[in-house]
Amino acid sequence: MIELRNVTKFYKTSKGKKYILNDVSQIIPTHTNVGILGRNGAGKSTLLRMLGGIDFPNSGTIRSDKTFSWPMGLAGGFQGSMTGRQNVKFVCRIYGKSEIEIEDAIESVKDFSELGDYFDMPIKIYSSGMKSRLSFGLSLFFDFDYLIIDETLSVGDKNFQVKSKAALRKKIENCNVLLVSHSMPILKEICDSGIVVNGGQMQYYEDINEAIQVYDTINK
Amino acid sequence: MKKRTSLTIFKSVIFALFLREIQTRFGTKKLGYFWAIFDAMLMVLVFASLKSAISENSMPGLDFPVFLATGFLAFFLWKNIVTKAIGAFSSNQALFNYVQVKPIDTLITRFLIEILVSSMATLVFLALGLYFEFDIAVKDFSLVILSVVWLSIFGFSVGLFTAIVGTFYETFIKIVNILMTPMMFISALMYSVDSLPPLLREIILYNPLVHFIEMIHGNYFSVLNTQYVDYSYMFYWTFVPLFLGLYFYSKAEKKIISSR
Repeated sequence: MIELRNVTKFYKTSKGKKYILNDVSQIIPTHTNVGILGRNGAGKSTLLRMLGGIDFPNSGTIRSDKTFSWPMGLAGGFQGSMTGRQNVKFVCRIYGKSEIEIEDAIESVKDFSELGDYFDMPIKIYSSGMKSRLSFGLSLFFDFDYLIIDETLSVGDKNFQVKSKAALRKKIENCNVLLVSHSMPILKEICDSGIVVNGGQMQYYEDINEAIQVYDTINK
Repeated sequence: MKKRTSLTIFKSVIFALFLREIQTRFGTKKLGYFWAIFDAMLMVLVFASLKSAISENSMPGLDFPVFLATGFLAFFLWKNIVTKAIGAFSSNQALFNYVQVKPIDTLITRFLIEILVSSMATLVFLALGLYFEFDIAVKDFSLVILSVVWLSIFGFSVGLFTAIVGTFYETFIKIVNILMTPMMFISALMYSVDSLPPLLREIILYNPLVHFIEMIHGNYFSVLNTQYVDYSYMFYWTFVPLFLGLYFYSKAEKKIISSR
């Protein structure tokens, strides 16, 4: 369960405060895969980052006893001067993995991400798609209660998309996912429930199809 | 995923950051080892030859290059701790994407690395000193170590304070960086405070670093003493920025994590 209590989050702009969430209280139940919908700039990514514990509300609290992955998005999240391999090692180490487990992780991430020689080159020369492949491949190695995924299922070629969707479906047998996507088919396929973020409010819907309908009316 | 205590997490984060920093500094660029001793070595050579060109031995009873080496090694230890701490947040911003990595971890890691690098440089200097048969005898070894440890903490305090304030006022970082170069000349590195005229002596003693360098010199060389060292002045300069820095940090941690 994730509980948001009186959460307010805004950004200061030259035209005053831009509210992402304005005094939102909401409970997101356990054991449901949540799709997050909203227009560009509505604050979907910020919401994900707050749920993942690396961004913070201006007031109010977000509480959960679950573990969350790092937000996997197109916006990086890796240290550019390090190679893919070094980044994998780093992340394994901060999660307290042993050297043997690290070797396993390197093998499986290298295999899954299909980066080839790029795996030993600095991340800064990666395309955003390559970064998300590395990030997603790495996250599969850990046992989180929630995977936080921001728009990364649609990267790579067709083959890779099929592969990562299959991997995700296997993964969510044992965990749940918080997924931002603009692709309705993906949302329908992966998610059970939905959240629509719009105009400083967010609303939880038990059925993803209902959330998609609401989102469609907003977009009209 | 099984829960870990915050101490366990802290230790694994420091370990991971440590290896990462070592890799970027000494891994791909093999010259990292060279740069670790280059600064201090260059200064010792320059000022030792200047001195021998200008005058005879103005510091009887000690080898002037050893005097320079102790001062400059201490100075660069301090300077590197401060400047590396200042850049710690911005150069590790991407790693705050992982909830375990707190900004202060990056400061602590860089602090530990500077101490390691400086210790290695000191060993190289000691080996060279022995080889060229300089007089490297130490008057009071434990007090020299204490001075260096205190100096390191002083560096950490200044670095922490500057890094936090610099997050909100970038100009402050620029000012501190600009001050570093003149600091080299006003920190009693190539002369002793005792050798200065009284007025200059009084002015220079406002520089806290002078007290640390004098404490090291005074305890290293049997012909020098620590008569000008003001321990309470050093204490204030160490702990006021440290506590202010930690206090500001506790207020600003979330902002540092989420700023990008």
